[in-house]
Amino acid sequence: MVDASNLVGQSVRRKEDVRLLTGHGQFVDDISLPGMLYAAVLRSPYPHARIRSVDVSGALRLDGVEAVITGDDAQQLGKPMAVTLDLFTKVPTIYPLAVNKVRYVGEPVAAVAATSREVAEDAVELIVVDYEPLPPIVSIEDAEQPTSLLYEEWGHNRQLDWQFQVGDVGSALAGADVVISEDFPHHRYTGVPLESRVCLADYRPGQGALTVWMSTQAPHQCRTLFAQSLGLPEHQITVIAPDVGGGFGTKLQINAELIPVLLSIKSGRPVKWTEDRYENLVSGVHTRDYVCHLEVGFRRDGTMTGVKASLVGNLGCDGTCDAAGTAALLVAAAYLPGPYHVPAFGVDVVGYVTNKAPYGAYRGYGKDIANYPMERLMEMAAEKLHIDPLELRRRNVIQPDEYPYQQISGPLYDSGDYPAMIAKAREVLDYENFRRQQDETRREGKYLGIGFAAMLEPSGAAVPNGIFNGYEPATVRMTPEGQFLVFTGNQDIGQGIETTLAQVAASQFGVSVDDVRVVFGDTNAVPYGLGSFSSRGATYAVSAVHRASVQLANKLKRIAANILEASAADLVFTQGAVEVAGVPSRRLTLQELGNKVYLWPGPYGTVPPGDDPDLQATETFMGPRVRWQPDEQGRINLYTTHPTGIYAAIVEVDPELGDVRLRRFVVIHDAGVIINPLIAEAQVVGGVVQGMGGALWEELRYDEEGQFLSGDLTSYLLPTAPEIPDVEVYHFVSPSPFTPLGTKGMGEGGTIPTPAAILNAVNDALRPLNVFLNDLPITPQKVRAALRQAGH
Amino acid sequence: MAEMEAADMVVIDTVVNGRPVHRTVSARRLLSDFLRYDLQLTGTHVGCEHGVCGACTVLLDGQPVRSCLTLAAQVSGHHITTIEGVAEMPALPAATTEERVRHLHPVQQAFWEEHGLQCGYCTPGFVLTTIALLEAHPDPSDEEIRETLSGNICRCTGYRNIIRAVHRAKELWQTAPSTEGR
Ligand code: FES
Ligand code: FES
Repeated sequence: MVDASNLVGQSVRRKEDVRLLTGHGQFVDDISLPGMLYAAVLRSPYPHARIRSVDVSGALRLDGVEAVITGDDAQQLGKPMAVTLDLFTKVPTIYPLAVNKVRYVGEPVAAVAATSREVAEDAVELIVVDYEPLPPIVSIEDAEQPTSLLYEEWGHNRQLDWQFQVGDVGSALAGADVVISEDFPHHRYTGVPLESRVCLADYRPGQGALTVWMSTQAPHQCRTLFAQSLGLPEHQITVIAPDVGGGFGTKLQINAELIPVLLSIKSGRPVKWTEDRYENLVSGVHTRDYVCHLEVGFRRDGTMTGVKASLVGNLGCDGTCDAAGTAALLVAAAYLPGPYHVPAFGVDVVGYVTNKAPYGAYRGYGKDIANYPMERLMEMAAEKLHIDPLELRRRNVIQPDEYPYQQISGPLYDSGDYPAMIAKAREVLDYENFRRQQDETRREGKYLGIGFAAMLEPSGAAVPNGIFNGYEPATVRMTPEGQFLVFTGNQDIGQGIETTLAQVAASQFGVSVDDVRVVFGDTNAVPYGLGSFSSRGATYAVSAVHRASVQLANKLKRIAANILEASAADLVFTQGAVEVAGVPSRRLTLQELGNKVYLWPGPYGTVPPGDDPDLQATETFMGPRVRWQPDEQGRINLYTTHPTGIYAAIVEVDPELGDVRLRRFVVIHDAGVIINPLIAEAQVVGGVVQGMGGALWEELRYDEEGQFLSGDLTSYLLPTAPEIPDVEVYHFVSPSPFTPLGTKGMGEGGTIPTPAAILNAVNDALRPLNVFLNDLPITPQKVRAALRQAGH
Repeated sequence: MAEMEAADMVVIDTVVNGRPVHRTVSARRLLSDFLRYDLQLTGTHVGCEHGVCGACTVLLDGQPVRSCLTLAAQVSGHHITTIEGVAEMPALPAATTEERVRHLHPVQQAFWEEHGLQCGYCTPGFVLTTIALLEAHPDPSDEEIRETLSGNICRCTGYRNIIRAVHRAKELWQTAPSTEGR
């Protein structure tokens, strides 16, 4: 056994890997129940249409079909879909199957449960729907001047409309020496976990009880949303999330999973729905898809005078009930000032509904939207002001001695050291040398470019009015045999919590991670916690597990002190035992201690007065500086911790082919105290590569008529090994003062700044050719078109 | 299945992970479904069902194939290795993670050491593709590794640690060759 007092900070190899490496993981689709039926879904071919009628009689006649449901059943068996998160948004009345009209290509219209998937799919083909097409609303412009309305009762297409200003931003810009102003459009893309959504619903009419196995990041909130969307008593519902094949934010709602649940209620049998890749791309949640108009004033020395922004999002059919994406635009608004000193700030935000797929969460959740326009603009400003882009950032960033720093827009930043990270970036990039090399290679017709983006990653959201409201309990328990269980509402979706949370607990008890089992993903087993989103693990779950472990360790010491006739203050945990410090002969192994308390002799002979034999402790972590009550300026603070970073991309652009090659990608990263460097660094690298995908290849495309064009992985291109360089990561450690271990959640940092860094690098490469690209993804066609336009 | 005519059924004689398998299945049964649902070998994962992601990779006579593009009927008379057949795991009730890992195939060990997996959904496909690569080329270059893995998508890791794991697997394999189970 390892002496574990210092397991925090060690690259412990993962506990969860053996089952995953041997094919013995258990994903939802791996589970079957006796009598189980298979679901298939009929989806709308129209972006916007009235449903005149749905005829399911043909499907019902097919042998093997056990249940068919339509919007009518959804209304009769359930209720309108519950709200996921409502912050200043309009809430539509919608159902998991379309009622009266369809609002996007791929929207579920009817569903079948049958004895095999093949029969269910055949039956779906036999359902006849009579549609009356309506004019589609596809772009933001369509939505602004509505030729038609998605929700007639609203009288407009705005789901979100919000303004905020601190300071006099008008005069701040008027008084600037230079104002840079630009529209930054951003395309639609999303998480695409390799395991799509899968749900096995088992409604038992005899008990009125519902058990749902589903691939989700947030089992407890799903349970509540099921209760609210079905009118079922919540205590009769169990949600189980076993191994989850990636989430990235896209598995935080129940809109699709309600379909197999309704089929199970209607048929009285277990029903499994396994989303295929087309369904996942056409209807799994989408994100990004916005235009940000940004104006920033600078003095001649490069310091900012003010920031004014107008952010307009294309939310698709809904981002409030179908999924939880609408509020990402508000997070974006709060974080537009980023890591910079901003003396005056104003923003207005509008989110339009359109006939595209629902708007949800994906790695970034608005922090990416805050980052992209600002980091693009910084590079444009650097050129205009004739200041090096790193130096321009250095002149504006928050200084290390200013933390905790109250940002003008509300957030309270916990810690960081941007100037040191900028210096480190210069050093590892060999920056001056690179610039010389760049000039030389240009003369040879080679176009190298370097682009930067500062990174700020608010982690651990606590958003009012919904499922992301930010707290986390943990229970830590010792067995009679002296091993430990950690019960957490956090959900393992690949980010390694079975190991990292075990490290945190094991450190308090002097045991190894193999002596700690992390229990998650079963609403009947673990406390009501909020799952995995917003990089909250190392902010919330870790802090809760740490505190519960400390509390249990203290109790164990009191009991052991009573048995050993020592003082609890003199006891230490080491090598799987508790002993009097410096007197190894006076010790109890944890197995002896557990046995004594529970069995031989039992509690009345071992537990001191005032204690009891319940060898467990529960603690709930709440963000100590979260503030929902607006201050005199109307500002609130939703996030507890803020990893920081400086990212740099080096690219080579081939002007003939328009090809962009990633030559180097450097990350200077600070996420406070790191529990497991191996795992943390892998989170950064994985996030960066998703950002690369978004910058260069991935796009959810619609044509002007609202038809969806990216329905498989040959049209939605994911990064593969040959085109990805080895991401280089350098760590800084600025402990957070707001968490007990100084940790900061850090799952999204990689994704947030990467698109800006890459497009900045491409524009840097092509600067001598007078080319300015402003569109993502940066396809060869776009590069070629821009070059042609510039006369090359 | 009710809708199937007898004429749609075919008899399959194959060897899966070293064990003979004799079944009658629908002629349109995909190999991936056959393995997952008829044989309960659920370690073979399906990520796209259209031949792009490589999650469903299995070895057909030692060669990697996409089980989502292969019919079960096509494997009659051939040997199939799925992820479950890569290493024979003894029952190790009290073993530590490290001790368990030491019983795995060197490629699996290398993925563990280098943290070459996160959610693990793509992992069976990568492990099998890597085994086939190293069987054929014991010492591939970085570029060859990347090219070989270009048909497998991992959405979590960003590939860096997967590439490192393949390099590590080269070393481990040379010191401890183990090809049981095929
Ligand atoms: S599932 Fe076969 S290649 Fe994707
Ligand atoms: S580890 Fe999740 S897809 Fe590869």
